[in-house]
Amino acid sequence: MKSLRLALIGIGIAGLAGGAISLAIAASSDHAEDVQIGAVVFTPLIGWSFIGTGLFAWWRRPENRIGALMTAVGFVWFLASLITSDVPGLFAIGGLFSALPYALLLHMLVAFPTGRLETRWQRILVGVGYFDTTVMQVLGVLFLDTTDPDVCTSCPGNPILISDQVVASGIAYGLQALIGIFGLSGIGILLVRRWRSASSAIRSALTPVLLVGVLTAFLLGLSLIGDIAGFPDGTGEDVIDILGAAAMASVPFAFLIGLLHSRLSRATAVSELVARLGEADRRQGMRDALAEALGDPSLSLAYWVPEQGRYVDAAGHAVELPARDGSTACTPVEHEGRPVAMICHDASLDTEPELIGAVGAAASLALENERLNVELRARVEELRASRARIVQAADEERRRLERDLHDGAQQRLVSLALNLRLASSKLDKDPAAAKALLEETTAELGEATSELRELARGLHPAVLSDRGLRPALEALAGRAPVPVELGEPPAERLPPAVESASYFVVAEALTNVARYAEATHAEVSVTRANGQVEVEVSDDGIGGADPAAGSGLRGLADRVAALDGRLEVISPEGEGTVVRAVIPCG
Amino acid sequence: MSRTVLVVDDHAGFRARAQLLLEAEGYEVVGEAADGKTALAEAARLRPEVVLVDVQLPDLDGFDVASRITGDGDAPAVVLTSSRDWSDSAELIVRSGARGFVPKDQLSGATLEELFR
Repeated sequence: MKSLRLALIGIGIAGLAGGAISLAIAASSDHAEDVQIGAVVFTPLIGWSFIGTGLFAWWRRPENRIGALMTAVGFVWFLASLITSDVPGLFAIGGLFSALPYALLLHMLVAFPTGRLETRWQRILVGVGYFDTTVMQVLGVLFLDTTDPDVCTSCPGNPILISDQVVASGIAYGLQALIGIFGLSGIGILLVRRWRSASSAIRSALTPVLLVGVLTAFLLGLSLIGDIAGFPDGTGEDVIDILGAAAMASVPFAFLIGLLHSRLSRATAVSELVARLGEADRRQGMRDALAEALGDPSLSLAYWVPEQGRYVDAAGHAVELPARDGSTACTPVEHEGRPVAMICHDASLDTEPELIGAVGAAASLALENERLNVELRARVEELRASRARIVQAADEERRRLERDLHDGAQQRLVSLALNLRLASSKLDKDPAAAKALLEETTAELGEATSELRELARGLHPAVLSDRGLRPALEALAGRAPVPVELGEPPAERLPPAVESASYFVVAEALTNVARYAEATHAEVSVTRANGQVEVEVSDDGIGGADPAAGSGLRGLADRVAALDGRLEVISPEGEGTVVRAVIPCG
Repeated sequence: MSRTVLVVDDHAGFRARAQLLLEAEGYEVVGEAADGKTALAEAARLRPEVVLVDVQLPDLDGFDVASRITGDGDAPAVVLTSSRDWSDSAELIVRSGARGFVPKDQLSGATLEELFR
């Protein structure tokens, strides 16, 4: 920072000296009235005002290129003023540089307020400006005999004259003016569009700059048209040149006002925001206050919920951050180093990262408070969703039960009834057939009984309620199609809800092992430590299980969550699956 | 008393038992069908007096079959049957045009005959 200040002071001193030299040369010039660089009196004034305001902007916003550009305009302006010199070499340098300040000025206008050229058209038009004021300018100078009385009455000779080709020089200057007029028109359109699409906060900073900038460009364009077409009488050209020079001199002050304005509006925005935050009611109040402070009605807020690892809106619903598509951008807000929220705003506000930063910083405490509220809402929302899922799961379970009963035991009992009736009708006439029917019926009765038993155990295993977790898990392990190694479960009885949840975690996990894992072996462990029960089922199968894909694991997660526990599934492709539930158990 | 019957059910076991049971009591089972569409075709072809239809079929359900079969004047009588209990749904049964409902486990020539008295 200190070295920047020293460098800027050095540049400032050089600027003062440059202006003084320019003034001295103009004052001693024999031909100052003949050269087309506006009124001589404006020259040092214009140069100094660009350098002075440029250095100020450079110092206050070192990351912004506008300050450097403004300073450059001032120095090039002094170089251009060498055209008033009577020394042929200096005179020629002045001639070569006399158009370049306008290209720099237009570059600055287009790049305001960020200092960057953002779009292709901006780069093309600014590029055309530099081409027109360098290459075309050199072409013109090479063929211009400055001692020709038609060109200049008392100018020194042109030391880089190739040959005295008035026609060639005229064509080069005419072409230069033509390109200039088209370039200026394009830039005019660009600037008007920019102004119309800008947010109100930026518009207030843009307005003075664009007004003066467009006026200068317009006068410059008029003077170029005059160069080609000629003015009806001699005075018109002088007036326009003087007006142009005056407009040019006011440009840096317009830039300064623009920069100060955005600074002022930032201070105002922040103080208004702080005042509003005190009275803002919750939820939308926060968003509205920020939207107003940043002048962006489309602004939206997304709060970070670390527990769920995602962003939610003010109501606690999960939200996707908008894609960075050029129309919307998001700026993170932190509080004490932790992420709090994202402010998603119109991309045009990206030109004022400091404004968003200041507003975000001012609001960070309020945002953190609101984030805590939102986190609570998100948790309620998650509870609501899991409650709905539990009800839905219960419904599905009842439907499945009805279907199982109907397809299984009920069908068997129906055919039993029919068989018995048939047997009794045959008892007299065909006792052998009746006996066969009765035997068939007895076998079917056995199957019906075992199906009902299976169904009842699926509902709730009696061994679990009667004898506890260990024998229930032993029975599960015994029925599994792959060898299951069962660790030593807690010998004491656990609360019924914990026993049930643990049992069903193991049952579901072993069912999945049998169905999908292609495993050769599985391990089950249930341990109790530090006030919680940890249930773990691991296998050596193919892995790749997705807990979100099936309803089984999802339902288990809800069941475990209902006990304030959590369920995790670790299942890397090809490396087996681990299902782990941790359930508090005081 | 020897009524002709078409038995419609997707369980072959039930069709076989129903045939044995009904024929033991003097009915003549003239055909069977495993789904609703076949049932409609067979009913038109065989012109039985009674069509015994399970409520739950793989394509149409028994109520649809009943309302399509009983459309014209001399159509066969449709008797619905199921192992589920539909006896609470009298209105549904009447609207379908069926003659009545017999729970599967109570199927016999006698219970059928009651519906024709």
